Amino acid sequence: MIQRLRKKPYVWFLLPGFILYTIFIIYPIFAAGQLSLYHWNGIGDKVFVGFQNYVDLFTNKDLMSQMMNALKNSITIFVLTVCIAMPVQITMAYTIYSKARGGNYFQVAVFSPQFISTPVIVFIFTLIFDGNIGIVNKLLEMAGLGAFTRSWLGIPQYGIYIVWAMITWAGIGVGMMYFIGAMKMIERDSLESAYMEGAGFWKRLWYIILPQIKMTILNLVLVSYIVSMTIFDYSYILGGTSGGINRNVDVMSLFFYRMAFGDTNPLGGNISANSMGMGTTVACVLFLMIFVIALIQLLLVYRKED
Amino acid sequence: MKKSRDMMSRHHGKSAGAVKAFLWIYSTATFMILVYMLYHSLRPRQDILSNTFGKPEKLSLDNYVRLIAKDHFFRYFGNSVMILATSLALLVFISSITAYGIARYQFKGRKFFRIYFLIGLMFPVQLGIVPVFQIMKNLNLINNPLSVILVSAANISMPVFMLTDFFAGLPREIYEASIIDGAGEWTTFRKIMFPMASPIVFSVCITVSVQIWNQFFLPLIFLQKDAAKTLPLLVVKYTGKLINTMDLAMAVSTLSTIPILLLFIIFSQKILDGVTAGGVKG
Repeated sequence: MIQRLRKKPYVWFLLPGFILYTIFIIYPIFAAGQLSLYHWNGIGDKVFVGFQNYVDLFTNKDLMSQMMNALKNSITIFVLTVCIAMPVQITMAYTIYSKARGGNYFQVAVFSPQFISTPVIVFIFTLIFDGNIGIVNKLLEMAGLGAFTRSWLGIPQYGIYIVWAMITWAGIGVGMMYFIGAMKMIERDSLESAYMEGAGFWKRLWYIILPQIKMTILNLVLVSYIVSMTIFDYSYILGGTSGGINRNVDVMSLFFYRMAFGDTNPLGGNISANSMGMGTTVACVLFLMIFVIALIQLLLVYRKED
Repeated sequence: MKKSRDMMSRHHGKSAGAVKAFLWIYSTATFMILVYMLYHSLRPRQDILSNTFGKPEKLSLDNYVRLIAKDHFFRYFGNSVMILATSLALLVFISSITAYGIARYQFKGRKFFRIYFLIGLMFPVQLGIVPVFQIMKNLNLINNPLSVILVSAANISMPVFMLTDFFAGLPREIYEASIIDGAGEWTTFRKIMFPMASPIVFSVCITVSVQIWNQFFLPLIFLQKDAAKTLPLLVVKYTGKLINTMDLAMAVSTLSTIPILLLFIIFSQKILDGVTAGGVKG
């Protein structure tokens, strides 16, 4: 046996990674799929119930409205990211790529929030938007616009937009750097000949750059989709397990957490008698939503490459 | 050539000027808010809350003294550092041997493994957390940093993908020369191949360590005892009830942010190049 393995060194190279990755990344999703067929709270008896959990999830009015609300918020984050953050990222990347003065300074400044942990980012937003001590209100007052001051973080309708703003402020630099990287791969000659023929700053972006960074855009759209379906920290820190006032900052991942680990804190509080069963059911629905979209995108990209 | 490039960057027009102005304001505001936080962290709580924009009565390091002496800041900090260092070492080791195994050797199922290690990108850790929680409970690893370390280090899809590409691109002659010189498979990897991958490894380290350092979800679930908690969890403890702990929230936010950012600014050119390299591969 050992002799035979000696001739196959790749087995030794692959084995540790294969074991660790399979146990903690791949297996759990399938185990969750299996658990979702049981009525179970992690401690008591496991009772097989077939697809009853899925039926419950989609027919129970309260669960359904919670899920739809969370889904709406997650999709809002995704749409805002693609429609607003991404064009801004591309424009910033293009400006820096075009050797604007201060390019290095911009890169460092725009990227640096990436190194700030989520609780601190939420705290910084409190300093900016809080009703009493926030800078925004102070600035409005100083500008004579006192009528517009309000406690920004306390208004339920604004909640999800504030969450999005935090996500964007924290993460906008990463995408920007990816776009800069993609732009650096473009042949400079085509840009220069376009310039010679009189194509302006924006025309060059539209006709030369954009078509050539299409793949990066598509990849980042998919990444943003997965992120908005799995983002958790901001909503949890801002609104707690229940997802804020009237669940205004609730997102899919937080909904899943609430189902699986109860409404107050992990291992305590209001754990339902079916927490693990319903939790894994939500996880599986969410996983399918990610998997299907990712598959469609991969197929589209794959077909184009052929 | 040089000249036309300069011309190209000069003729940007008015709207481009607006973009640049926006970038200046945005960038400066980002730094200003950090300085603002630093400034407030030197003020007593009452002063911050009731006299936010007024003249400070006194500035002192009292908040920091309390944070470090009474609230064990460095224990949380140490936990975070330990988890980061161990996960990162394990992840780099595992992902580079895996990538090397796939890229270097011809065997049946090679293509399968390439895809198998990539699909993890579609398997977010959060969604499998219930079964992982059960595993950790059975292994008695709840409240043990090893739980967070193992799961963080298992997330190797992206690193394996990047490194496989790199190793596959190395000329075969290097490998053969080393084997002919009498080095074993393992020595060849450790002494010859792995050092060559250091730019990619660096790029992996940057992306991954930011994620691990700032991760919130895994520690929240696995580390419930104060003794095991990490820095982000300490921050939440203070920012949760701001009225009572405004001063400590300022101090802990500053102390957990500014040193890292200074490191980033000092090594920014190298780090940003690493990030860009990772993005082009992905």
